[in-house]
Amino acid sequence: MAMIEFAHVGKRYGGRFEALADLNFNVERGEMVFLTGHSGAGKSSVLRLLMALERPSRGRIAVAGHDITNLHVSHIPFYRRQIGVVYQNHQLLFDRSVFDNVALPLVIQGATPQDARRRVHAALDKIGLLHRERALPIELSGGEQQRVGIARAVVTKPAMLLADEPTGNLDPQLSADIMRLFEDFNRIGTTVLLASHDLALIARLRHRVLKLRDGRLIGDEEAA
Amino acid sequence: MSQKPRRNPQQDTEKPHRPSQGTEKSRRGARSHQITFESRTRAWRRHHGQMAVDSLYRLRRRPLSTLMTMLAIAIAMVLPASLWLALGSAQLLDSNLDDTARMTLYLDPALSESQAMDITDQVRGESDIASTELITAAAGLESFQQRLGMSDALAMMEDNPLPATILVQPRSRDPDAAQALAERLGQIEGVTDARLDMAWLERLRQLSELGRRVVLAFGVLFALGVLLVVGNTIRLAVESRRQEIEVVTLIGATHAFVRRPFLYVGVWYGLGGGILALLLLTLGRRWLSAPIDMLASGFGSHFSLPGIGLGGSALLLICSTMLGLVGAWLAVSRHLAEISPR
Ligand SMILES: Nc1ncnc2c1ncn2[C@@H]1O[C@H](COP(=O)(O)OP(=O)(O)O)[C@@H](O)[C@H]1O
Ligand SMILES: [Mg+2]
Repeated sequence: MAMIEFAHVGKRYGGRFEALADLNFNVERGEMVFLTGHSGAGKSSVLRLLMALERPSRGRIAVAGHDITNLHVSHIPFYRRQIGVVYQNHQLLFDRSVFDNVALPLVIQGATPQDARRRVHAALDKIGLLHRERALPIELSGGEQQRVGIARAVVTKPAMLLADEPTGNLDPQLSADIMRLFEDFNRIGTTVLLASHDLALIARLRHRVLKLRDGRLIGDEEAA
Repeated sequence: MSQKPRRNPQQDTEKPHRPSQGTEKSRRGARSHQITFESRTRAWRRHHGQMAVDSLYRLRRRPLSTLMTMLAIAIAMVLPASLWLALGSAQLLDSNLDDTARMTLYLDPALSESQAMDITDQVRGESDIASTELITAAAGLESFQQRLGMSDALAMMEDNPLPATILVQPRSRDPDAAQALAERLGQIEGVTDARLDMAWLERLRQLSELGRRVVLAFGVLFALGVLLVVGNTIRLAVESRRQEIEVVTLIGATHAFVRRPFLYVGVWYGLGGGILALLLLTLGRRWLSAPIDMLASGFGSHFSLPGIGLGGSALLLICSTMLGLVGAWLAVSRHLAEISPR
């Protein structure tokens, strides 16, 4: 069973403008896939549909075999808890420590403080920032902030990881480090869908690439 | 994916439901139901506790604006509450006067005391009579003298100018029935007049009904005022934590989770405002009681301003707290509706 299924998906904003048109693709469980295309091609729209931040105007989206097209509002939070999302601007809360930022999904899900501490430490250890758990995000570099964002996305061990331009603000060296982190999570079975327009970076990493242009899928290249 | 069975008992900070329906839940074993429910309840209570304390800290961090909001709520509560108290004292008068919904039969002054007693017995034998009391001419004069302190003037009169009277308490409180009874009793031999003082009683009732409506109207208006004050303050708080709300929503916070801290802020505002209102009412009563006591004693009355009392205080605190809660709920819900997917 595919992890992500898009069938004839279209998305209009404001009733007229067609951001996505007749999108058809599947992503299998455990796959790592890049979503690429020019700015405005519709990459973020695809991810926003998968996060149930938007509803498709047409077609059907299924995740792990479950139709999320018309997910009831009250089910959306529970759906979102099962995917990890990394943002270009990492969306950290600047009024609380690294530890508290990473613990946030666990607090929301009601983990006990002991359990949360254990899992936050494991996630911070994985991204190499365990020694900065008491720091405020503002005290970290851009690359470190992005890694904290990744720790927050994986602390609940989601089966699927979405990332929207996670290296958009980083230099090539830091970008490569971040990509390696995603590959590590993919290696232990996490499905990863990663939007990026950094073609050089994508070319170096050998993964499947979905290419968008003006909201249409114009290429689906399997890993070389 | 949203409904696949999970290995670990899922905990969340939602209000715990006993798992009864739902595909996802029914797939789990009975034992894990128990664990899930208990850990959910614990997590839910933990978050409530944290938010109650956290919101208090947030309020304490800006003491001046907190105090001003609470004061605005207090002022909006004080006016309807004091009107209500005023109405309460009017109703106190009213209920005292209810016993006087009796009628007075004036007897022929020429009748002897024993004849008057016979008539009293006859009246008592009539139907619909709760009680009767004969006030002889002499007894009437005595109490009249006592009440008005005019003993000297009356003592100078040779004859007692007062007729004997019978006070009749009708069994029914219905004005029409009392009217009919008065007419019937007026026919009795030796009764010169049967007087029923319903008209002014009726007027008093209408007045207190008017008072009730005024209090209700002011109560509703000022309750709306409290809602607006709290709603607007919470709206600003929501505004200043917009990014936080967005982030926690993105990572799976329910609306209840997002609302919770703000609801507690609303509750604290309402409770604080209610306590301040009680303080203002107490101060106001103290300030007014001296002149009112003087005024009342000039009329030979022991009337004093009624306090709000324990029950009234509790009611006021419950009302203000509920208004704070509802105001906060409305403000956050509006924001949540704005960020829901379309
Ligand atoms: N909320 C929105 N309202 C209107 N138009 C939007 C909205 N979000 C995205 N778009 C438009 O949809 C198109 C695709 O946008 P997006 O998915 O963000 O592309 P990408 O992430 O590939 O740059 C763009 O033309 C963008 O202007
Ligand atoms: Mg984008």
